[in-house]
Amino acid sequence: MKHTIWMSAAALIAAGLVIAQAPPVPGNSQTQGQNKGQNKGTAKGAPRGPAQSPASRPGPQTVTPQAYPAAQIQAGELRFTSQCGFCHGRDAAGGETGPDLTRSKLVAEDTRGDKIAPVLKAGRPDQGMPSFTLSDADVNAIVAFIHDQKTKSEALGGGRRAVDASDLAVGDAQAGRRYFNGAGGCSACHSATGDLAGIATRYQGLALLQRMLYPTAGRPAPARPKVTVTLPSGQTAAGSLASEDEFAIVVLDSSGGRQTYEKTAVKFKIDDPMSAHFDQLGKYTDTDMHDVFAYLDTLK
Amino acid sequence: MRVLLSIGIGFGLVASAQTVDLLHPAADSWLTFHGDYSGRRHVDFAAITPENVGKLQQVWRFQAGQQQIKASPILANGVLYVTVPDNIWAVDAHTGKQLWHYQNPPNNAFHIGHRGAAIYKDTVYLTTPDCHLIALNAKDGMVKWDVVIADSNKGYWSTNAPLIVGNHVMVGVSGDFDNLPGQLKSVDADTGKTQWIFYSTPPLGTKRDPDSGGATGGQMWTTGTYDPALNLVFVGTGNPTPVLNGEVRPGNNPWTCSIVALNPDTGKLAWGFQASPHDTHDWDANEVPVLVDANFNGQPRKMLMQASRNGFFFVLDRTNGKSLLTTPFATVNWAKGVDSEGHPIPDPAKYPSKAGVLVAPNESGATNFRPPSFDPKTGLFIVSAQDGYGIYFFKSEHGAYGWAGADYGVAGKAFLRAIDYQTGKIVWNHPIGDGAGTAGVLTTGTGLTFSGDVGGNMMALRTSDGATLWHENIGRMGNGPISYVLDGKQYIVVGGGGSLYAYALGEAH
Repeated sequence: MKHTIWMSAAALIAAGLVIAQAPPVPGNSQTQGQNKGQNKGTAKGAPRGPAQSPASRPGPQTVTPQAYPAAQIQAGELRFTSQCGFCHGRDAAGGETGPDLTRSKLVAEDTRGDKIAPVLKAGRPDQGMPSFTLSDADVNAIVAFIHDQKTKSEALGGGRRAVDASDLAVGDAQAGRRYFNGAGGCSACHSATGDLAGIATRYQGLALLQRMLYPTAGRPAPARPKVTVTLPSGQTAAGSLASEDEFAIVVLDSSGGRQTYEKTAVKFKIDDPMSAHFDQLGKYTDTDMHDVFAYLDTLK
Repeated sequence: MRVLLSIGIGFGLVASAQTVDLLHPAADSWLTFHGDYSGRRHVDFAAITPENVGKLQQVWRFQAGQQQIKASPILANGVLYVTVPDNIWAVDAHTGKQLWHYQNPPNNAFHIGHRGAAIYKDTVYLTTPDCHLIALNAKDGMVKWDVVIADSNKGYWSTNAPLIVGNHVMVGVSGDFDNLPGQLKSVDADTGKTQWIFYSTPPLGTKRDPDSGGATGGQMWTTGTYDPALNLVFVGTGNPTPVLNGEVRPGNNPWTCSIVALNPDTGKLAWGFQASPHDTHDWDANEVPVLVDANFNGQPRKMLMQASRNGFFFVLDRTNGKSLLTTPFATVNWAKGVDSEGHPIPDPAKYPSKAGVLVAPNESGATNFRPPSFDPKTGLFIVSAQDGYGIYFFKSEHGAYGWAGADYGVAGKAFLRAIDYQTGKIVWNHPIGDGAGTAGVLTTGTGLTFSGDVGGNMMALRTSDGATLWHENIGRMGNGPISYVLDGKQYIVVGGGGSLYAYALGEAH
């Protein structure tokens, strides 16, 4: 079935409207409720085929089994529910915006907080997760609670927000290949034998779909916008765009140095390859989306 | 035990308490979440203008704590009251110095944000995550009374800035993770006694209601508006539950995702209008129902306007809830069109599905709790909008309780967008970054629009064309700016990160 976007902001603007300022801002993704965490564990290693109920498929197994005192788990529950529960769910199995932690690869690989604690302290601003100011005791209690929930969830099976690889397998890979090379315009930047070779080995299921729609991290690294700055002296500087707002751009040069330029003080040109991904979101039908996904899923 | 943490100096400032007149807010006050009952978030003070806005200077900064301020502060008798979950501070509006701080005991309800306090006579009201309503003495923060407004053990929590009309303190709650009825409770401002409860979906223990289709939800977690002439309160209601599973709740699921008009004395429904019939995307219609009296197609009208989370801008006749205009203000792909009564018609092909559907807007919405503003001079409704996409999943294994499905935001672009209320046309569109903005909007009679971008810049724009005239980075604004005139000086006050900032024009040289 084809379903077209019947009213877009672009159309509204085209209807005689004024765009006030600045091109769209890539890279500066301190967003709330956006780019939600990837449910990477969901499909990892999941066997295919209809014989097994998708909901019964486990997430990644805990690498280092670990036990915690009941009192610590209980203290962690209080902290977790009040501070983390809205996004990750009271049971850590996914909430309003955050992923199911009981199926998280990071949690599976965590030993007594070595992976979880740094995320709590620094947050994941690019995925909408704030940093938390917590005592070590609180962090340890939260870690205890998450591991306990994972153990319980493994015993129960299922996952409230689970999306399994087999759920997504409804597309036509041949049609997807045609769209990729034709109407979709994907091949203008990507190649099945180049940057995307083996992509389905690195990403499966929901993680692959999210990456296809709008890559935010991982391999191959999403292309940063390229920027060329012309200083008042006429001297030029080129690099990739680290961040941008209406007033300034931050440019990374080839040696990793960061330079901030006030927009009013320089001339600059930004070439953002990710804007094509955003524009494509308004063009895909759901059939297109599933077809291209099916095609990418063959690139192992 | 609920404890008063600290009392500072400065009682002299509030000793001569004036009357808090909610019907006629004075220039030196900001008495409700919106400043007044209309929800327009507009002031007519003349001091700060497009010509001199570049001279704005920070007068003081108050660090409220580590948590992001998502509240609109209120101001009465020279004292600002600002909240984060479980906490309220009274701050001297002249100096930014703390007068007192009250903290609710730790509890395990969700601490996701708090929208602000309310005031009546000499009492300040605070809702808490664990669903208490606490009446505090405005002078010193001493607890007058403390009542439970909903059972937080069932999954309710509260972020609500209450709306007060007469002696009715109207308090809403949230509760998306459990199948709970939507309730707005009116509490006696003096005694804390419950006066009435309005249920947007049938209360627990009642029979399955054929109208609601078995839906629960429809929480009223934002502050409503009030028309004294009609004696009607207007409140937005939230999404139905189960959230993404619409199969088990057939029909339109009234009054979820709706604007409801209630009599504040009785809680009786006068009319309801559904912004999203049979919502399956978590698009609460809790956004501010803005009240405007003006011409519409040449005819004077009492209107209600809402830029809704589902991407549609609605203009209603607020005397009867009839539609005057329904038009998208952001990217929308979930509706097949608009019916003869102005309701968007959901496209079943965009219901959450097992294989997933790509939907615009995403879950965080085309806008959200961040308040918009209406500028009477230009007729512009200015809103922090998002063009965004998400993927939505539902399969039977997700069940029929609470969220019951899965959805993930894909990408979004944020804008301040000015809508002509008579046509829905976008007059200007000012990009503010990737994702969604969180800052609300304030307009002034001198032609200024105050808001913020995604990167933490507070900005003053020219209302007529959206051009930036001034900015300063103060960190993420999770709330709407307010303005008042104190001792002859116009202030702009806004929360950035965990601090409250006050701006005024610099001294003349």
